[in-house]
Amino acid sequence: MRADRILGWYVAALLFFLALPILVVIPAAFAPESTLGFPPHGFSLKWFQNVVRQPQFLRAFYVSVFVAIVSTALSLATGTLAAFALVRYRFPGRQLLELAFVAPLVFPAIVYGIAMLMVLNPLRLTRTVLGLVLAHVVLALPYVLRTVGATLHGVNRQLEESAAILGANRWRTFRHVTFPLIRPGLIAGATFSLIISFDEFTVALFLTGPGLMTLPLEIYNYTEFTIDPTIAAISTVLIVISVTVIMAIERFLGFEKHFKI
Amino acid sequence: MLPRRLGLFGLLAPAGLLLAVLFVYPLANMAALSVRSKFPGPFTYTGEHYAKFVAEPYFLRVAETTFALALVVTLLTIVLGYPVAYYFVRSRSRYKHWIFLGVISPLLVSIVVRTIGWTIVLGNEGLVNNLLRGLHLTHDPLPLMNNFASVTVGMVHVLLPFMILSIASVLGKIDPALEESAAILGANPVKTFWRVTLPLSMQGIAAGSVLVFCLTIGAYITPWWLGRGKVLLFSTTIYDQILVIIDWPFGSAAAMLLVAATLLIVAVYFALIRRVDAR
Repeated sequence: MRADRILGWYVAALLFFLALPILVVIPAAFAPESTLGFPPHGFSLKWFQNVVRQPQFLRAFYVSVFVAIVSTALSLATGTLAAFALVRYRFPGRQLLELAFVAPLVFPAIVYGIAMLMVLNPLRLTRTVLGLVLAHVVLALPYVLRTVGATLHGVNRQLEESAAILGANRWRTFRHVTFPLIRPGLIAGATFSLIISFDEFTVALFLTGPGLMTLPLEIYNYTEFTIDPTIAAISTVLIVISVTVIMAIERFLGFEKHFKI
Repeated sequence: MLPRRLGLFGLLAPAGLLLAVLFVYPLANMAALSVRSKFPGPFTYTGEHYAKFVAEPYFLRVAETTFALALVVTLLTIVLGYPVAYYFVRSRSRYKHWIFLGVISPLLVSIVVRTIGWTIVLGNEGLVNNLLRGLHLTHDPLPLMNNFASVTVGMVHVLLPFMILSIASVLGKIDPALEESAAILGANPVKTFWRVTLPLSMQGIAAGSVLVFCLTIGAYITPWWLGRGKVLLFSTTIYDQILVIIDWPFGSAAAMLLVAATLLIVAVYFALIRRVDAR
């Protein structure tokens, strides 16, 4: 049908719009000229060399990875427990609590960053890894709750009851029945959490400074003085990392099923 | 049952504690600061910071720009996103899950990549300007960056996935038999869409709109990067007050107003949902 064809073309055009900023970054990183633009007039790897030559980028990368891993571990552990409580128990105030846990999702990040700055500053915890981790745990928690909660909803309780009847204690039931069933939710939650923390900008803006920088902040600082293809080169590296992670998840999990917002 | 209660408490305590100490307390602290006349110094209550915000035309203009941006972004994401959500739910295409990946792709790449990408597309040496010059449509580069339009493009781009997924999740629950019935009863496709599909998908549009609107009024970095100080918003003002002018009580008051606006929108949404559910 004609209408279907038009709709199909429209969808293709919109997907092109969504991918456009990603598609132009990669060629721009290989441009020989020093203005950031498109299309490039030749081919050069000098901007990648420039990235490697600036040690602050690598240092910031390590900080970002470390903070992401620690805050993910914390949000996954606490979030999974809370998801069990919210899905399996009925108690007064449950809905309100559920709302409170997902509040950081729509909360203005800039307000949260400032509020954390005001609390952490007198404690001398700004510009520390601990301060960043604490902030990122709160930001990641809603995603863990949503993904783990969603898979937990889908778990057939009869399977757990059967295990119990067959003599498994609570730990063995969890280890061999519940855990394998909610594993996709845990992986999705962990992935979201890692992305949120690694890419987090606004809150980190208030909690970082000389001595402690995350990668997005380090790139932002660089653009304050120069806008050249160096940042396109870093972006290309980040895209490669994203694509690798996505392919891995797609392979082991299937994306659509577990990534609901 | 005591053990059951204890179990529930044990499950909730770690996350609850984190939320209380790291989210609720900092915000309460900020709220207290916003009604404090002098900081640092002894605590005396005042409403002057809120009064100052409302009295200054500059801040009102900032609030106006912010809400105008949020409104434009919300409407654009609905109009641009709805057909994609529809296609995604109804299509049996082999490429369906690539479409899904494409839709959420803005969320999967770093904020840095997105904003730099738009700089390359819209900048003076960028894709659009080079294309226009190549076609001899313009001689000098058009100023496409650092204005309301470039901020809008950046925000629509990153928030479209939220809108599309919200609409798609509701559209997916609509029984196709309803549309077929309308067609059998003689409604043409356009009428079926307006009278059946669209009204039934209103909840998805509403949920998506709340999400997009709230995320836009709170956004800082995308507007900053694509506006470079030319587009003044609520969030950029709060940043300036806190880190540049270092007026913490006034900055806190502005921040609390932003929070109040966000909460109000969410509250209205939940009230509406209740009423719809009650019917």
